[in-house]
Amino acid sequence: MKNLENEHSELEAANTSSTASVSPRKPASFFQERPPQVMEVAPQLLRHQTRRDVLLFGMGAIAAVAGGGFLLPQATLESLGIIHENKSWRKKEWLLNRALRIDDDVAEALYSRNRLVPTYTKSQITPLRNNYNGATPDPSYIPEWHLTLEGLASGLSVSLNIRSLLASFRVHEQITRLVCVEGWSAIAWWAGLRFDDLLSAYPPMSQAKWARLESSVNLGPWRNPDPYFVSLDLSTAYHPQTLLATQLNGKPLTVEHGAPLRLVAPVKLGLKNIKAITRITYTKDEPADYWAKRGYSRYDGI
Amino acid sequence: MSHSAHVAEVIATRMPEGQAGVRVVRRHHLLVRCSHWLTVPILLGLILSGVSIYWASPVYHHKPDLQTGSSDPLADVGIWICAHVPGLHHYSSPPDWLYNHTSLGPGMLAVALRLHWLCAYLFMLNGLVFVIGSAMGGGWRSLLPRLTDLRDSARMFWYYIGVPVAKLTRRSWMHPPFDTKYNALQRVAYFSVPVAGLLSVFTGWAIHKPMQLYWLAAIFGGYDKARIWHFRLMWVFILFVVPHVILVLADGWDTLRSMIVGWSTKAGRSEDSLQ
Repeated sequence: MKNLENEHSELEAANTSSTASVSPRKPASFFQERPPQVMEVAPQLLRHQTRRDVLLFGMGAIAAVAGGGFLLPQATLESLGIIHENKSWRKKEWLLNRALRIDDDVAEALYSRNRLVPTYTKSQITPLRNNYNGATPDPSYIPEWHLTLEGLASGLSVSLNIRSLLASFRVHEQITRLVCVEGWSAIAWWAGLRFDDLLSAYPPMSQAKWARLESSVNLGPWRNPDPYFVSLDLSTAYHPQTLLATQLNGKPLTVEHGAPLRLVAPVKLGLKNIKAITRITYTKDEPADYWAKRGYSRYDGI
Repeated sequence: MSHSAHVAEVIATRMPEGQAGVRVVRRHHLLVRCSHWLTVPILLGLILSGVSIYWASPVYHHKPDLQTGSSDPLADVGIWICAHVPGLHHYSSPPDWLYNHTSLGPGMLAVALRLHWLCAYLFMLNGLVFVIGSAMGGGWRSLLPRLTDLRDSARMFWYYIGVPVAKLTRRSWMHPPFDTKYNALQRVAYFSVPVAGLLSVFTGWAIHKPMQLYWLAAIFGGYDKARIWHFRLMWVFILFVVPHVILVLADGWDTLRSMIVGWSTKAGRSEDSLQ
């Protein structure tokens, strides 16, 4: 059985030659609505095609409901009473993670090391919340604090304290926006050394493409030790506005905001902006990431 | 409008000799039909996951309530429900009731984001299919609002309001005349939906990449305002869908079927049709 659309075009082609001379169509303006196209069709053919199209539509609707239900989160399906036991579908995870990866790839394609993020004036500064996931660490770690660098070109492990860091690097200031994955944001005035400068002073091994930044003092919700770690592509680390900040709003960082040294990477979501960094390791392969393990994206470029 | 707009022309016949045929008018291009129906699950997925994302950091607040200490109007709704609905008096956290019982559910930010990105990319692809379909079928011309639509759509609105009253009182209630594919109110509504879709995509990118696409966020008044615009655009879709579904169902099977099969038997425009 032929399709109505094909039939229409065939017949139109056949008709134009015979009817064109009888009723020449007036050329309408480009924006003007065209007259409706009317066809005369045998009732049987019409019935048959209607049945076919409505059946196809019904199958599509069933597929959409099944597919949509399949994509809903586990907990939602459980609370709706659709599933009762903990089932995990590997294909669903694969599909959703694929979307996450595509989105990360788009973010990476949009990123440019030379594109600066907008900066603000001091009057535009907004309060910055203490967003420690869990509990603020006890400040007793601060006097003993030092930063360990690993994966360097020299093959050595370097340990630096805050005094030597501040003595050997130039301090840069910037007022930038920190954007949280939850949707809130804050404009803050940061000062610190450029990650780029640290990379020049202590170059990573030649194959390194990533940095793993770790805070061993981070606590979990019950004040249990819960080291926080993020992966950072070196391309972002080289960005001129990626700081290892030591000051917030003109004062040394407080324990709430990651004293004595934290990452400020405005081109990344807030969750990459790790506080109280204790160790930086340069790696060839992408290191693990605290929030990526919990279902968030890995690149997080904004 | 012009004369040619309402003169239906029989462009094709496919009839066995000596048998009466059914006159049908072509309404919707195949690609437009596909994108129309694909929009339904995609938009639902975007709204469900989008509200879950909103739950992570609600924007709307009022001054803290003296009794409950809450400044979140949605928490207030939960508190009210738990206080007034029998059986919920012992709910453990009334301010969370609404958050726990709507959208995808509580603590769903990571899964909601994944679902939102999946649906958002499908939404953009689908929008492209619609643009191609309406360009190929020429249907975009019927959606373009005209200058007279402001007055005519007010007339149509008044007509729709009066229909139930006229039906109940069995009085006649004339449909305002029109000689185009859609009436003025339909044109305004059907034109706003793709525009809202486009704006949703732009505001979405503005808040998704506020640094690399900072100029896009700036167009909408900055990151925080772009978030609110993105949220409001969701309401445009919801406010469109409700009367859209009611009116299509009221109009009857032919209208609904035309979005499935592409053609309609309403070859001439009947003045008493609800459309």
